[in-house]
Amino acid sequence: MKNKKTGRGVRKKAFRLSLKDTLITLCALLLATALCYLLLPLAGNESFEPLLFVLAVLVISRLTDGYFYGVAASILGVLMVNLLFTYPYCKFNFTITGYPISMLCMLATAIITCALTARIKEQEQLMVAAERERMRSNLLRAVSHDLRTPLTAISGACSALIESGDAISVQEKNKLISQIDEDAQWLIRLVENLLIVTRMDAPGGADITKSPEAAEEVAASALSLFRKNFPQANVVVHVPEEVLITPMDGMLIRQVLLNLLENAAAHAEGATRICLDIIRDGDNALFRVSDDGKGIDPELLPHILNGDYKHSLGSSEDKKRNMGIGLSVCSTIVAAHSGQMRAYNGSGRGAVFEFTLPLDNTDEVDGMDIYQDEVDEQAQP
Amino acid sequence: MSNKYLILIVEDEPNIASFIGTILEANNFETMFARNGAEAIMLITSHCPDVIILDLGLPDIDGQSIIQSVRSWSNVPIIVVSARTRERDKVMALEAGADDYITKPFGASELLARIRTALRHVQLREGERAKRPNGVFKTGELVVDYDKRRVYVKGQDVHLTQNEYKIVSLLSQYSGRVLTYDSIIKHIWGPNARQGNQILRVNMANIRRKIEESTAEPRYILTEMGVGYRMAEAEE
Repeated sequence: MKNKKTGRGVRKKAFRLSLKDTLITLCALLLATALCYLLLPLAGNESFEPLLFVLAVLVISRLTDGYFYGVAASILGVLMVNLLFTYPYCKFNFTITGYPISMLCMLATAIITCALTARIKEQEQLMVAAERERMRSNLLRAVSHDLRTPLTAISGACSALIESGDAISVQEKNKLISQIDEDAQWLIRLVENLLIVTRMDAPGGADITKSPEAAEEVAASALSLFRKNFPQANVVVHVPEEVLITPMDGMLIRQVLLNLLENAAAHAEGATRICLDIIRDGDNALFRVSDDGKGIDPELLPHILNGDYKHSLGSSEDKKRNMGIGLSVCSTIVAAHSGQMRAYNGSGRGAVFEFTLPLDNTDEVDGMDIYQDEVDEQAQP
Repeated sequence: MSNKYLILIVEDEPNIASFIGTILEANNFETMFARNGAEAIMLITSHCPDVIILDLGLPDIDGQSIIQSVRSWSNVPIIVVSARTRERDKVMALEAGADDYITKPFGASELLARIRTALRHVQLREGERAKRPNGVFKTGELVVDYDKRRVYVKGQDVHLTQNEYKIVSLLSQYSGRVLTYDSIIKHIWGPNARQGNQILRVNMANIRRKIEESTAEPRYILTEMGVGYRMAEAEE
């Protein structure tokens, strides 16, 4: 069922694309013809028309996909020049001296432009691929770097416990063990995000399956996971009275909220509380995680969401390590849901991270209808 | 000691099996290990464990088919161990007859709670279960009165609709255990429910507004994202 739907979608898109290209071709040719007629009284002779048509062919080759439209336009163009702008007018005459040469020239121009623009397009694609590859290796480098520190700490603490366990006091032992636990938890969170990055980067686009979820439920689920790792954090939650049914991949959005909460808990220095708000914002559900800590460094602000892993590499402060990856995962997920994400410093103190997800109005009305049908029937004793 | 419960741990990673074993032995359970599906089936038939802890990613047999084959002749509780991102596997395992699941990574307290819930449900199945729907279910300040078909919070009737009551009463009968979205929908609206998922979400949101103090931090009905809902364990 789902496959069928996407198949139809692709075919529809391909059709629309070619329709668009046909329109571009026709418009360009018409424009060239119109210009020829307009310029005819000014120029006096007929030598400029083929040039105008060559120009049109060039534009068409650049704007359309593949060779077809360019070559078709050049043939059409040659015929039109012949028909409209060479003596005898409004009649085909293939016997003029030099005509085959001008016809071949126009055809060659069209084919060469098409080939060139195709090359340019190819190179653009290669550039995009190279950029992706660069991002990937940046990520890999940042991650390997990030993995090394906690792993070193874990294996060090273990070797201390194994080799000189007798000489260490119970208190120190417990401290070492809780450090191992802390580093292991941190690694688990990192790997969780990496798995999502690879899932979102999978060939064939992001692998997200949207289904209607109650926004508050996803928030509650993220919050209970967050509490496992940060039981002491003071989180103030605000959820609207209205049920916001939002189409989303629940697991991914939960990860976004979890990352934002953990980010606030780990990086907002001096914060006394974290706020998690869900608000209806027109046709969107708005999720906001804010804190009253020291805020985001204004220098980092423009880069914080765009997955610039260099910044997370550059900072030597230990607990900042995971920030780049976690937040860029958030913006990738939100973008895949056609949502908007932004980060800014609040008017008072602290940082604000918020994102919107489009609500599906028709679905929501349906859901409320069902509820209305039932609201009057009370459970019978 | 022969009155200890016997737990079979089916896990191919020796380190994970070892830490699960250590936790269980420290809490007075007897343990037994199987490293693959074939060994597991053999040990289940020969030793009749009280609970099976089953990792879904085994080298030889698919975890789902182990569940199906055990279920064809035994009701022994099966707790599935799976990674957080593999929600579909969990749902399939529950539908194949697993009793519960636990998400990797997990801690000692979580593991023990799951095992105790599973053991309690066996006892219920053998004794009280038949009696319970006529009695009263209680957890925290939530009371479900099956005779009057009413739900009370702090002694106040919360006025649930017909379907809301059905959902709460269904979850309370399996308290401590997760029920998949599909099984709840089938039970309440029948097998051909249109837009079932969304109706369930809306109903649950309304139930929470009536019984929970904070919908964002529910105490009684917990969401297991991507899998289903779980009612907090009943109090004795």
